[in-house]
Amino acid sequence: MGKKRCVAMLLAGGKGSRLYSLTKSLAKPAIPFGGKYRIIDFTLSNCANSGIETVGVLTQYQPLVLNSYIGIGSAWDLDRVNGGVTVLPPYSESSEVKWYTGTASAIYQNINYLSQYDPEYVLILSGDHIYKMNYESMLEYHIDKKADASISVIEVPWDEASRFGIMNTNKNMDIVEFEEKPKNPKNNLASMGIYIFKWKVLKKLLEEDNLNKNSSHDFGKDIIPLLIEQNKKVVAYPFEGYWKDVGTVQSLWEANMDLLDEKSELNISDYDWRIYTVNPNQPPQYISEEATVKESMINEGCIISGNIEKSIVFQGVNVGNGTVIRNSVIMPDAEIGENVYIEKAIVPSNIHIPDGMVIKPNNKTDEVVLVTEEMVNELIS
Amino acid sequence: MMMKSMLGVIDATTYKDDLEELIAHRSLAGLPIAGRYRLIDFVLSNMVNSGIGSVAIFPKYQYRSLMDHLGSGKNWDLDRKRDGLFFFPASITDGTSEGIGSFNQFAANIDYFLRSKQEYALVANCYTVFNMDFSPVLERHLQSGCDITEIRSGGESLEIYLVKKSLLVDLIQTRDITGYTCMKDIKLDIHHNYKICDYEYTGYAEKIDSISTYFRVSNEILKMSIWSQLFLKDRPIFTKVKDEPPTHYTTTSEVKNSMIANGSVIEGKVENSIIARAVKIGKGSTIKNCIIMQKCTIGDNCELDSVILDKDVIVENGTKMNGNLNSPFVVRKGTVQGALMNS
Repeated sequence: MGKKRCVAMLLAGGKGSRLYSLTKSLAKPAIPFGGKYRIIDFTLSNCANSGIETVGVLTQYQPLVLNSYIGIGSAWDLDRVNGGVTVLPPYSESSEVKWYTGTASAIYQNINYLSQYDPEYVLILSGDHIYKMNYESMLEYHIDKKADASISVIEVPWDEASRFGIMNTNKNMDIVEFEEKPKNPKNNLASMGIYIFKWKVLKKLLEEDNLNKNSSHDFGKDIIPLLIEQNKKVVAYPFEGYWKDVGTVQSLWEANMDLLDEKSELNISDYDWRIYTVNPNQPPQYISEEATVKESMINEGCIISGNIEKSIVFQGVNVGNGTVIRNSVIMPDAEIGENVYIEKAIVPSNIHIPDGMVIKPNNKTDEVVLVTEEMVNELIS
Repeated sequence: MMMKSMLGVIDATTYKDDLEELIAHRSLAGLPIAGRYRLIDFVLSNMVNSGIGSVAIFPKYQYRSLMDHLGSGKNWDLDRKRDGLFFFPASITDGTSEGIGSFNQFAANIDYFLRSKQEYALVANCYTVFNMDFSPVLERHLQSGCDITEIRSGGESLEIYLVKKSLLVDLIQTRDITGYTCMKDIKLDIHHNYKICDYEYTGYAEKIDSISTYFRVSNEILKMSIWSQLFLKDRPIFTKVKDEPPTHYTTTSEVKNSMIANGSVIEGKVENSIIARAVKIGKGSTIKNCIIMQKCTIGDNCELDSVILDKDVIVENGTKMNGNLNSPFVVRKGTVQGALMNS
């Protein structure tokens, strides 16, 4: 293997338990997003667009769909002769299977993968955020600052800061303290879970951390504090732009709706920063005589005979006559019958919603409805 | 495994004068149709879906865009170590040939036929819109013991022929003696010595040989009864995929009975039309009975009725253009249409 300046490690093993039934048989990074994509497309496209050609994707939870989706990486132009994309599942070693017990342990167990490229820098990414970012710029910043580690941070509203991992910085953007979900935040710079390390420094730390029985082997909880403790130079890289963790049903719905907001900073039509995806081969969408479509995004392969308003409709969805869909996300190949009413809901892939069914939020809570097979069966009976 | 023994041969040399405005810059095989396809996608996908693993394409005129479209054949699953997609452009010294399966051009690449292990060859034109399974044709051909099977539709030849490869090689090599320049010539010769059988195809099949058939077929595709014969889940029509985002509709968009491809932004009114990828239609504009090809930009308050816009056309704000259903108004690729030009 040829030497690589920077290798990316993409953590894609998360279960995403706050997404309930959506992640029952699917890893969170593989969840459909934005009418056409899967969540992980954003990070992989960022890699491709940033010129990062070597990406290890660490999978663990429900990896079947994710593994076959990533394949050899050709959708993101990451099928390279030297490097490219490599899916890295946990593996067994002589006597035991070593599950990835934390984000740091996942990287530790793949030291051999990294060593074969002998990189100067390692970029740690997570596969469950929606954002567009040039990692090359961050790497330049990291090199300019002569940092041992750089952490990408984003300003969050002060009243929300206690929900995030907060980086306390000095005026040079050196990180002096890391606080996970502080009650009384001293700063409003939240970690985006994106790190660049000097590989030599990280390797040593991972080896130390592995020996520490009390460690939870997590970047945020263990590795970053260890760096600060050892007086390594850790700097914050301020990111400006759209960034969203889509870890809950509410935030997944919001991020989808953001695509319909003309003022949103998330532009997926930018030719210079394409979001690549595995393209389904489907005919153009057909909008019938009876349909109305307003303020929505609709993908190929759909046959729309109903009324769609402020919604995201993925490929291969059929919507029957007289049906109204409002403020909702309809995932691939869902069959929506006639005279159905759906409001503020996420409708999962391949589900059949029978004629006349009404799905809308509870009046009191107004929470986004995550439709499930069970819910549909209950509504029928 | 039986289908493994058929080669696909696509004659992409055809030129039709009646399509001149649309094929001046491209080969007929590369003519965009149905929002995201090119004509060749139909026959090529049909071959792949019928289990044909080796396809040779013989283009002649202006094949840059066709080559760009086909690439390595990956989108049709034809980038293979064994067999796959072959591209054999004509040499400029070749004369023109009107028929399907120009033997001269085949002769220049006779090695392809000799080296391939397949026993039969399906020689087809590049400009038919259809979704057809060729395996029953081979079955019939084998049962009937015919030398040549001609696929027909509605009493007319579809210009698709199934023939034993060894016979095809013979026909190519003896072309100067027999005077046959292509497959069609054999049937036209009343003294031919071959057993030629017909295979009547009853599904939807239309050859695109003029602007008016192009326009009519495009309109027919908008009918669900035709659409559902062409776009089948288990026999998809493959094409070059692009990374366009889904189509965006705004508060002012009104769309009826139309087919719209990805990457478009629709702010106006669209009726009975086919809109290709990455088209922008401005506020207050009305697009009726139109075919709008890739990357066209239509400004605000335009009125277009029965118009075909070739790729990359810019229509300025307030422009009105009219054709009629029998003879659409065709706008050439890459031109700018201003409000004053057509007033």
